[in-house]
Amino acid sequence: MNIQNVEYLKHAYKIAPWRVQRQWLGNALLVVVALAMVATLYLDVTSQAAIAGREIQDLTASISDSQQVSADLQTQLASLTSARVMEQRALDIGFRPMESGEAEYLAVPGYSVLEPDILSSAPILQLSTLTIPPEYNESLLDWMDKKIANSARRVQ
Amino acid sequence: MRQQYARRTQVLTSVMGFIALAIIVQMTRIQNSAEAAIFRQQASNYAYELHTFYPDRGEIYDRNGHLFAGNKSVYEVGVDLNIVKDPQAIASAVSVGLDMDYSQVLGDILDPADNVSYVVLADFVEAQKALDLQDLKNALQEQSEAGVLGGLTGLEFKSHPQRSYPENSLGSNIIGFVSREGRGYFGIEEKYDTLLAGNPVQALVPTDPNKAFEIPRVLNGTTLVLTINRDLQASAEKILDESLSTYGADGGSIVIMDPRNGELLAMAVTPRMDLNQFWNYGTIYDKASQFNSAISMPYEPGSVTKILTMAAALDSGSVSPGTTYLDTGSILVGGAIIQNWNQEPWGVQDMTGCLQHSLNVCMATLSMQMGAETFYGYMDNFGFGHLTGVDLAGESAGRLKIPGDADWYPVDLGTNAFGQGVTATPIQIMMAASSIANHGRTVTPHALYAMVRDGRQYDVPAQFAGSPISEKTADTLSGMLAVSLESEGSLALVPGYRVAGKTGTAQIPVNGFYDSTQTNASFIGWGPVDDPQFMIYVWLERPSASIWGSETAAPVFGEMAAKTVILLDIPPDSIRQQLVAK
Repeated sequence: MNIQNVEYLKHAYKIAPWRVQRQWLGNALLVVVALAMVATLYLDVTSQAAIAGREIQDLTASISDSQQVSADLQTQLASLTSARVMEQRALDIGFRPMESGEAEYLAVPGYSVLEPDILSSAPILQLSTLTIPPEYNESLLDWMDKKIANSARRVQ
Repeated sequence: MRQQYARRTQVLTSVMGFIALAIIVQMTRIQNSAEAAIFRQQASNYAYELHTFYPDRGEIYDRNGHLFAGNKSVYEVGVDLNIVKDPQAIASAVSVGLDMDYSQVLGDILDPADNVSYVVLADFVEAQKALDLQDLKNALQEQSEAGVLGGLTGLEFKSHPQRSYPENSLGSNIIGFVSREGRGYFGIEEKYDTLLAGNPVQALVPTDPNKAFEIPRVLNGTTLVLTINRDLQASAEKILDESLSTYGADGGSIVIMDPRNGELLAMAVTPRMDLNQFWNYGTIYDKASQFNSAISMPYEPGSVTKILTMAAALDSGSVSPGTTYLDTGSILVGGAIIQNWNQEPWGVQDMTGCLQHSLNVCMATLSMQMGAETFYGYMDNFGFGHLTGVDLAGESAGRLKIPGDADWYPVDLGTNAFGQGVTATPIQIMMAASSIANHGRTVTPHALYAMVRDGRQYDVPAQFAGSPISEKTADTLSGMLAVSLESEGSLALVPGYRVAGKTGTAQIPVNGFYDSTQTNASFIGWGPVDDPQFMIYVWLERPSASIWGSETAAPVFGEMAAKTVILLDIPPDSIRQQLVAK
């Protein structure tokens, strides 16, 4: 094929009206698809943030409930094992207070006197050092604002 | 034709494009207008609300992990007026379930204050009662037809924590209580109120539930572990109550302390109150000092003070244990005659005899021999007239008159030596006497063993408040006191254990004169003498069975000491010495 034929075909292709229309249509579709992608992304991010927010609220309420239940149970247990109740239970099942002359003492090699209980052991993790990344609470507009502000600052 | 269509299309496109452009321009203009800024500001005002996160109040335990003070859920019962369906049904259910007046409840619902959409019917309702009401509400809702609201619709329940005391009145004078406003009163609850309450945290919470936010970490209040032994406390209260009945006393206290480190093991007083019903405080106590008389109510302790006078005399070198003097039954001090308790002469006595027979004349002689400066110097070092610093709210310092005070007279030098004309609380005398039991070192009494916060435990170290006397004086005097108890066959003696101690019988001043029929009977003692592990102070107010401390307070000490050695696992001296020897 000589050069003249090629130029002819290219010219014919360029002037074909459907070709121009298709270009316009393609560009428009490209914009629509791009917008759809951004919208989808935005919806996805916001829905994830919303779900995370709801879960945090649920977990917070759950923690609070558990702590209250735990405190209630602890208090109930303490009431059930209070000095007065335990003494009465002991008397009811036939025990009586010991007199000073009734105690027998044995030397047990290696035994050490019990110390008061240590109520806590390892320290709790420092949760306050964690922070929620901005992706979880930042909207697309917030993100764009931030980017624009950063760019403006850089330009200055 | 085709060109015409094309032109129309172009015009239409231009118009549409212009409209679109106009909309965009207008949108941009509105977005950036001054009004938009105002609206944005208004929106941002409502976007977040300041929320205060309150920590749970710290718990209080005894030294063995028994809970003295915790938290439990109680409910606020109210009515949402916007959705009430049947006010009569609610009033009926609430009045029956919560023992309230029907017409009062109905009136609250039907005639609320202006602009009110929620009415609180009752607060601090016990969980069980609130849950029963809630079950009734749910049952009525289930029974009603589909789509129809139940009869108790609008009745709301909100839970919140409240202080709870599982041991009720046990150790109430030590623990104190927390009001419904969350403020601690008396004892540990007041002294460590800030620590127990913790620090509320304020945070901006987004009103938009779709926005995630960081929950602030709210540390609960500090949990406190006390030095108190619950079982010993229960025994002390039981023995005190029985002794009030046995000896017909108006009131009293029993305090048990470890003289080696100042840890308070028990502190029983009368009257006591059920801390879960703290609102009865006003009906139980006439004045605040009655809440814990062991630290708040100074009184003239009488002859228990003689051990301190003797300690001063021995330590200053004025006398030695073998020093003798001729007791003639009376002595003139500052123009006034001081007599012995039986107004009889006791002849030649050594210093142990002085203590054994509790001779006022001997003590007045010693204080005069020492001189006012030395005597009051020692009394000051022993802590008379000063707060001990015990970590319980409401401590009183008592009074020690000294030369130069407007109301001090020369006779006071004689009477102060045997505990008259000077006031002190039981805890002050224990602190002073701890220097004798603890080989010359005074301990600071305290009730806090440890603090637990943020998963860490901090043990409170023992604090010492000086050495008013030498170790030699302390040990010598301990031995003399033990001998004096053994010689008189005191009712304070504990079989198998060598204890040291001293009785006190102090007449009570009434209208400026001492009433010989009304006394404060006291006893302070500690043991085992060679290795003191407990110090017990007994105070009985106005015993009617006998006015003498030796017949009332001393046997109470003996009973309490016998119980203490069991509960603290202290073997008899012979066995303990064998164990130590091994």
